This record gives sequence, structure tokens and C-alpha cells, in this order.
Amino acid sequence: MKINAPFVEKILCAFIREELHKFGFGKGIVGLSGGLDSSVCAALAAKALGKKNVLGMILPYKDTFGKDVEDARALARKLGIRTRLLDIAPMVDAYFSRYPTDDRVRIGNKMARERMSILYDHSVLEKALILGTSNKTELLIGYGTIHGDMACAINPLGDLYKSQVRALGAHLRLPARILKKTPTAGLWPGQTDEDEIGLDYSEIDAILYELVDERRPRKEVIASGFKKEAVENIEALIVSSEFKRKMPPIAKISPRTVGHDFLYSYDRNR
Amino acid sequence: MKVALAQISPHLGDLRKNLDLHLDTIEKVRRKKADLVVFPELSLTGYTLMDLVPEVALEPAQHPAFKKLAAASRTIDVVLGFVEERGKGLFYNSAAYLSGGRIIHVHRKAFLPTGGMFEEAKFFAPGKNFRTFMTSFGKAGLMVCRDFLSYGAGYLLFAGGADLIIVISAAPGRGMTANDAFATSRMWELMGEAISYFSTAFVVCCNRVGFEDGKAFAGGSFIFDPSGRRLVKAPEAEEDLVLADLRLEDIRAARKRWTFLRDDRPEVILHSLQRIVGGYED
Repeated sequence: MKINAPFVEKILCAFIREELHKFGFGKGIVGLSGGLDSSVCAALAAKALGKKNVLGMILPYKDTFGKDVEDARALARKLGIRTRLLDIAPMVDAYFSRYPTDDRVRIGNKMARERMSILYDHSVLEKALILGTSNKTELLIGYGTIHGDMACAINPLGDLYKSQVRALGAHLRLPARILKKTPTAGLWPGQTDEDEIGLDYSEIDAILYELVDERRPRKEVIASGFKKEAVENIEALIVSSEFKRKMPPIAKISPRTVGHDFLYSYDRNR
Repeated sequence: MKVALAQISPHLGDLRKNLDLHLDTIEKVRRKKADLVVFPELSLTGYTLMDLVPEVALEPAQHPAFKKLAAASRTIDVVLGFVEERGKGLFYNSAAYLSGGRIIHVHRKAFLPTGGMFEEAKFFAPGKNFRTFMTSFGKAGLMVCRDFLSYGAGYLLFAGGADLIIVISAAPGRGMTANDAFATSRMWELMGEAISYFSTAFVVCCNRVGFEDGKAFAGGSFIFDPSGRRLVKAPEAEEDLVLADLRLEDIRAARKRWTFLRDDRPEVILHSLQRIVGGYED
């Protein structure tokens, strides 16, 4: 579980630089939430591409998330990257005035997808690619909005558990306020992943590491010192979120089908 | 003998760009007086080819790219990796040794990793042989990536009398350690050290770098001398061109000290293997 942070930094910076250049891009966009993952991603991008080539998009809904906007701005100042601030309330409110709801998940998902839509528009506007910020913990337990915050061109953080992202953030000397933040999917104010799952992140990561990286059966993971319910709960989250990690299935009719046996690499001829 | 390891990042699916990269690198190391330059696995095509395999496959005896590469080998020996087509529709992950303007040996990868992140046997036919061949530096043998991790394959080159074991690879890095390297890099060096020591032969290994679909190829190319000492080590996961002087007399010196080659008994190995293979069930 322990990472060699300088080595990981070297690999991820090379990944960002090479992938963007292969596709003819020199600039990257990161949606800055003021949280840990997007801060680490922006810091890596600034190192990989140069600070002038990174745009941090700060996309709050009114002032719902309090100090997060200020944290995002402070981080961008520290990194020396450009930012653009846009309140997504007019777009989100316009939609929900037609289909009113107090369902927090629907509202949160809509906000995540509104941000995605703005990031992708800016991708064209700025001739820049979107750098994803979903970490391995979130990807495995499905804590992300499909086609929302999970959408990106490339994802440098997707193979690092939350606690590994934090270690990388400390190595990158991110502000202490950001390093200490409680992880949240940000669907509504005060939501925290840990409250919802009923486990703290170090425990979630440790269980995931045993189940996924070490591929140990449930029984062994429980025997190594975790509560039965906790392990079962995490396993159930992994299974139920499989759809978020895959392209949608395509009904096979022809001899050669996209997603089945039309097999090319993402990076082909680049 | 001066050996160059070209730790490059080939362009996936682009023969023309990769040919230029090869010719430029060959020219560069020729000026540095290298006698042999080793490129990584599938250096002419890139690694994650999948359905591109038939599109980049070539028959070396006829292909214009190989004519240029063979011409470049008039003054320096060259080892490279490519997709070879044989018998109209059989594709191999192959390594070629070029020298004096011609192809003197082709090795077809026999151990095709298929499982986990690897799917080579879906796209390639397996090679069936490990042969040594004469070069101006002594007897050499080629292996492609996963071949080298099968110690039986290393034994075959040893039994064939190899003085120089050349491995070309496209090994992605996986796993963390406290070192500035992927965890998997250790196993390659472990094998390099063991095979060079117990074969009393040089082991020259060139691994590629760069990214394909998020996989980081780990680099870390190396050379071990016939006493199991590491002569050079390229950096992990960055392009580099490493040159090393190999003292060919070290082979004889190692074999005076350790008589592994003299004492080898391939007939005993063969006899035992025949018994094991003959006893296979289902």
C-alpha cells in the first residue's frame, strides 16, 4: 500500500505529458473542487505541462460548498496556474424549475454532469484535454457520477487509493488544509464518503487492497482483522458499480463489433 | 566489443516513424563506435497492437524497411523486434539479428504471455525454437521478453553454447517498492544475474519505455557480464541510449573459474524431459 511518492510523481507526470502530446495537445484542464484529488491532479499537471498550460475550472453551485472555492483559488495561486470561476446555479436551476425535486442524488448528479459539460466545452475552447481526478478507491466502490466527475480524457490518479493520493499530495507539498480534508463525493453539503459507508478511508483502502490488489478471498480478508459486514459491504459496492467502469454493452449482430472484437488500442497510430 | 542499448519509445502502429527512429539511432551509435545496437521488443511497431497485427506484419526477406535496416547493418550489428508474417497469415512476435548487410537470425517468441493484462496468444502464433547462431563476437542467442522469464529457455541457449544472450522486451512496470523502480523490474534483473552467472555468458537486455493505454513500460535495460556482475543499468521509465564495453575475454575467464558449461549434460536433461513429457495425462 505504501508508495514511493517521487517515483509515482515521475511516472504520472510522464503519463500526462506523453498522452497529451500523442494526441497533439499541450494543455490540460482540471475541474478544481478544493479537495485533495483535484489538487493533486492539478499539481502533477503543472509539473508535467508547465503552469501556464494548466487551466483550473472552479465550478461551484452558489456558495453551497463554503470555503472550497477559496481553497481551490489558493491552490491555483500556489501552483501558478490559470483559473476560471463559473457558478453553475443558473443552468442547474433552469433544469430543476421544469422538474423540481428534493432528491439530493438527482441534484448532485445533475451538478456533476453540468460541470462535465462545461469542462468538455472548455476542452474545445482552450484546445486542452480534461484530466480526470477519480482515484482507485472511488472507481472501485462506485463513488462517482457516471458521465459526470468520472468523465475525462485521461486519468492520472485512477490507480492510486485515496490514502496513496494523500501521500502523493504531501510529497507535492499541498496546503495542510487540503491534505486534511474529509473525502466527499460532493453531491450535497456535509456529505462525506466515510459517513455513508460507515468506515473510515484507511479501512476502506486496506480492505480494497486485500480484495483487489492481493486478490484474497473474503474469508481471508475478514480473518486478517476486518469486520465481516464491512468486507461484505465493500464487496457489494464493487459489484454494484461495475457498470460505471465499463463502456455500455453493445448487442452483437455482425462478425466484427465495437466493444467485442474490433480490437484496437486507445493510443494506436499516435 | 561496444554494445548500445536503445531504450526507446516506439510509435504504436507506425512503421515509417519507427523505421526513421531506428535508422537515426543506428547512425547515432555508429558515430560512437558501437559494434552492436539492441532495440526493444516490437521496436518497429509498438506493443499493444491487437487487430493492427496483420496491418504491420512483414516478411523480412522482401520488405523495403528491412532492406534499409540490413543496409544499415553493414557497419554495425543490429537487433530489433517486429511482427513477422509467415505462410500468408501466421504472425509472430519476432526478433532479428542483422549483420554485414543481411539477416543472420530470426527468433520467434515462444512464450506468449496471455492472462491478466496480457493477450499475446490471441494475436500471435508461438515460436517453437531456441537456437544459437554465430556472430563476429561469438555464439549468440535471442529471446523476446517473457521467453527470458522461462528458465528452461535460458538453459536452451546455454546448452547451445551461447556467449551472448540478447533479450528484447516490452515489459510494463507494476507494483511499488521503496526504490525508484517498479516492483517487477527486480525479477528481470534477478534472472539476468542468475542466467549470466550460471551460463558464464553475457546477458544483454533492452526494455522499452513510453506509455500505451496507460501502461508504463519500465525501461531499466541492463547488461550482466559472464560472472553475474551488472555492467550497466539504464534509468527506469525514461528514454536513454546506454553504451557499454564488453570484454569478450571475460567469457573464457568465467569458464575457467566455473565449469558449468563443460559439466552440462544435455542428454540427461533430454532423457528426463522425454520421460516427463511421455508421462503426460489428459
